[in-house]
Amino acid sequence: MKIIVTAKRVTDYDSKVIPTADGKAINFDNVDFKMNPFCEIAVEEAIRLVDAAGEGEVVVVAMGDEEATQEVRKALAMGAHRGVLVECDESKLDSDAVARMLVKLCQDERPDLLLLGKQAVDGDSNQVGQLVAEHLGWPQATFAYKLSVEGKGATVQREVDGGVETVRLSFPAVITTDLRLNEPRYPSLPNIMKAKKKPLETMSPEDLGVALGAPKVEVVSYGLPSSRKAGQVVDSVATLVSKLVNEAKAL
Amino acid sequence: MRDLFNPTPEHKALRDMARSFVEAEVEPQALEHDRAERFNQPLFRRLGDLGLLGVTVDERWGGSGLDAVAAVIAHEELSASDPGLCLAYLAHSMLFANNLSLNGSDAQRARYLPGACSGALVGGMCMSEPDAGTDVLGMRTSARVVDGGYVLNGAKMWITNGALDDHTLGDVFLVYARVEGDARAALSMLIVEKGDAGFSLGQRIKDKLGMRASGTAELVFEDCFVPAERLVGERGAATLHMMRNLELERLTLAAMSLGIARRCVEIMNSYASDRAAFGKPLRDYGQIQAHIADSYAAYMAGRSYVYNVAASLSLDSAGNRVDSDGVKLYCARMAKEVADRAIQVLGGYGYVGEYNVERLWRDARLLEIGGGTNEAHQKNMTRDLAKVRALR
Ligand SMILES: Cc1cc2nc3c(=O)[nH]c(=O)nc-3n(C[C@H](O)[C@H](O)[C@H](O)COP(=O)(O)OP(=O)(O)OC[C@H]3O[C@@H](n4cnc5c(N)ncnc54)[C@H](O)[C@@H]3O)c2cc1C
Repeated sequence: MKIIVTAKRVTDYDSKVIPTADGKAINFDNVDFKMNPFCEIAVEEAIRLVDAAGEGEVVVVAMGDEEATQEVRKALAMGAHRGVLVECDESKLDSDAVARMLVKLCQDERPDLLLLGKQAVDGDSNQVGQLVAEHLGWPQATFAYKLSVEGKGATVQREVDGGVETVRLSFPAVITTDLRLNEPRYPSLPNIMKAKKKPLETMSPEDLGVALGAPKVEVVSYGLPSSRKAGQVVDSVATLVSKLVNEAKAL
Repeated sequence: MRDLFNPTPEHKALRDMARSFVEAEVEPQALEHDRAERFNQPLFRRLGDLGLLGVTVDERWGGSGLDAVAAVIAHEELSASDPGLCLAYLAHSMLFANNLSLNGSDAQRARYLPGACSGALVGGMCMSEPDAGTDVLGMRTSARVVDGGYVLNGAKMWITNGALDDHTLGDVFLVYARVEGDARAALSMLIVEKGDAGFSLGQRIKDKLGMRASGTAELVFEDCFVPAERLVGERGAATLHMMRNLELERLTLAAMSLGIARRCVEIMNSYASDRAAFGKPLRDYGQIQAHIADSYAAYMAGRSYVYNVAASLSLDSAGNRVDSDGVKLYCARMAKEVADRAIQVLGGYGYVGEYNVERLWRDARLLEIGGGTNEAHQKNMTRDLAKVRALR
């Protein structure tokens, strides 16, 4: 069984991100980076599936500048078999560009399964998995919270509003992971050392035959959420109701 | 740019792994185990799964085979949440496992190190005695040569991991003793196992100021027979083992100080933004700025010193004594003072457990005593510096 899995480098969700003064970009000073937590879940799942199959390989892919090697190495330390870094200018990456490169990779590598996070916690776009599936004409299951492989296909349970949807798909397929699918392992120190020796191939978008033009999505500006107003303490239910009616216009 | 604190990508990966483990698994239990004076053995075993217990031990014996910098990173990260657990980790990984891995025979390594690296065994090192601490060569524990081995008599005091709970001995110990008839400075090292006849738990030492999540004990040897194959290295040659291992012990104790200081700086820094007085955030007041800025600068100075020394400390030779004493002398006091400032910045909230700085302050205090008192470091350093005219 062969699985391609993504490992996107994103800003640590514990870091405070602030837009630059002109609002055109994010100021990354003093910001930590980590693997997207949904990707981490995808990596964990891929490793478990290949382990359970008893044969095959997990190929981990990251895109971006050289720093993203760290996320590939982390996935290798968790147990992925080899890595690919598509080195490119991150400002040219949007969901469309990432999807087109993944499509080429899948055409070259011919995996049974492409596993991705349902979204990246920085851009929150939730598009790449769906786009790749559409381009390749592969079946897709998004927001997987349970996954089991039977023969040349998988059964996926998805959390949807108010319940669970169960879908069956045949390989090759695209699956995106939700939070509750598994708890990713910590890479152990010996495995961190072993990961150093695992193969990691660096390529360019051109190597994949993809031309990165201007992104299809242009970010007009970044802004902070408006700060919440301070609360008020009211002395009676009557005041509360009157404030809800007259000030908040909630009733 | 060269990163002094993460010299290779693997060091950085180790730090990331340790930090996410500590935040998710260590932090939530720290206060509770301090309060209950309980060693968290299941959590300790998980450090084995992560390859941290044998961080410096060769891969042949189940370790991770890394260097002093890696050991420093592990201690710094663990200590940022739970110095008590970290002290147990230090006694086991540095004082027992690293020591045996450097000085033991292959047969001894094969017997103990795989279990020590996985966490199946909890180990410790016994140097101090009820009547001899700083004056370590004043120790009185003696070994008498008998047929097939040695008979050990004496008592060891303050032994971390000596007790796993009120009644249970730790599993295995490196015990320094003097073979009867040998010179004062010619100590020997013997391996003593739980279950050896004549080896017992004298008392579990309770009610410590800090480091309460580690078990400390007095251990007693009464005509305790130790077979000859459990002598580590040559008879009378262990004083050198001790000196060599003390360098790593002091470096990693200094790393623990760094973890404490970093956490305290983080806590006071964010508190000073969130808390307002007289209509302004605390961080707008000059006196609070002095606490935060002075703490940060002292922390970074200590941190730079520690990583600088760690980068040049080779595990298998002695020769860094001025600086292995120096980092601990500087950082232990620094961490205590930074924790003290954090308490001050938090006011009443700093004085209670929930905000953690109270516990970190208590834990920091040990680092001026254990592994050598401040005065012992001053004594050693001044003696060594007497041979130096110009500093390069
Ligand atoms: C929680 C804890 C854990 C410990 N874990 C271990 C362990 O795992 N293994 C182990 O072997 N030991 C351990 N120790 C013991 C520790 O190393 C000793 O406490 C320390 O070395 C000091 O020895 P002492 O307590 O006998 O004090 P003493 O040596 O009696 O010192 C008392 C005071 O006199 C000062 N003093 C002594 N000599 C001089 C001098 N020449 N000049 C100036 N001042 C001097 C000291 O600095 C100190 O202020 C631990 C201690 C504690 C508290």
